[in-house]
Amino acid sequence: MSQDDDKWGIAHVHASFNNTVMTVTDLTGAETIAKSSGGTAVKQNRDEASPYAAMQMAESIAEEVKAAGITGLHVRVRGPGGNLQKSPGPGAQATIRALARSGIEIGRIEDVTPIPHDGSRAPKGKGGY
Amino acid sequence: MRVAVTGTPGTGKTTATELLESRLANSESDDEGEATPALDVIHLNQVLEDEGLYTEVDADRDSKIADLEALAEWLDGRDDVVIESHLAHHFDADRIVVLRCHPETLEERLRERGETDAKAAENAESEALDVILSEAVEEHGLESVYEIDTTDRDPEAVADDLAAVAAGEREPSAGEVDFMGYLT
Ligand SMILES: Nc1ncnc2c1ncn2[C@@H]1O[C@H](COP(=O)(O)OP(=O)(O)O)[C@@H](O)[C@H]1O
Ligand SMILES: [Mg+2]
Repeated sequence: MSQDDDKWGIAHVHASFNNTVMTVTDLTGAETIAKSSGGTAVKQNRDEASPYAAMQMAESIAEEVKAAGITGLHVRVRGPGGNLQKSPGPGAQATIRALARSGIEIGRIEDVTPIPHDGSRAPKGKGGY
Repeated sequence: MRVAVTGTPGTGKTTATELLESRLANSESDDEGEATPALDVIHLNQVLEDEGLYTEVDADRDSKIADLEALAEWLDGRDDVVIESHLAHHFDADRIVVLRCHPETLEERLRERGETDAKAAENAESEALDVILSEAVEEHGLESVYEIDTTDRDPEAVADDLAAVAAGEREPSAGEVDFMGYLT
């Protein structure tokens, strides 16, 4: 197997309350390989629309990524959509599953959700992830 | 009636609730016969500091890790209050106000308040990702959350909105802003 047959990238998933945006870069993060236009949920049917939009986005990204010769992706999730799975956020989980279904190998999944803080912050697992 | 006023640091919680506080103090004397509920404002960060209600310190963020159980206990029995803190949605409340602010504006406000670049940036990213709004909806449901965008609005107008929520004159709302563009 040559180097090119085993090329890895990073999928950066931003999952907010009713929007999911995904960018795929090389392992250094410097070069952008694919960028989603964003799966914005329609507010009125957020529950249905968001995971569906996120999945569609992941499928089209997967095609671009494969065309660029990438076979595997590490995933960095930012945002409550990826953590609070029952939340109204579209859920990064749906995105990750869709990538895997499209034949992309999934590597490390990392949660890098920022923590709101001033002089205080919430403990881990309660807001502070 | 317990009203929680939460939102990412820099959205203007302390400023707006201090205005509300002085209005509530004045309204007792001028007796306009308006239905301004008599609510005390609790600035929870102050309580955390004064009572030492934290478990450890996050050195990277220069931030005390709140002891949520101890704070909940301290709040127990204080029922006609406005609780102001970015942690306020972690406690029992009848109405949860989530103040919002465009991340670029938020970052500027925090820098002007004298916060470090790292602090301003992580809070701006949190705001762009709706972290606190999502937690508030997760914990209390859409029917109890009132989202108020403070971008380009002065503190008096924000205090008016808080008073309207407290008086039951506003409908719940969530997810009406989308600040994701800030990140991409
Ligand atoms: N509505 C507003 N418009 C512009 N600046 C504001 C507004 N509300 C607060 N500020 C300023 O922004 C900074 C953060 O406000 P503050 O009330 O301390 O926020 P919080 O308590 O939510 O962290 C302060 O410097 C304050 O003067
Ligand atoms: Mg404050």
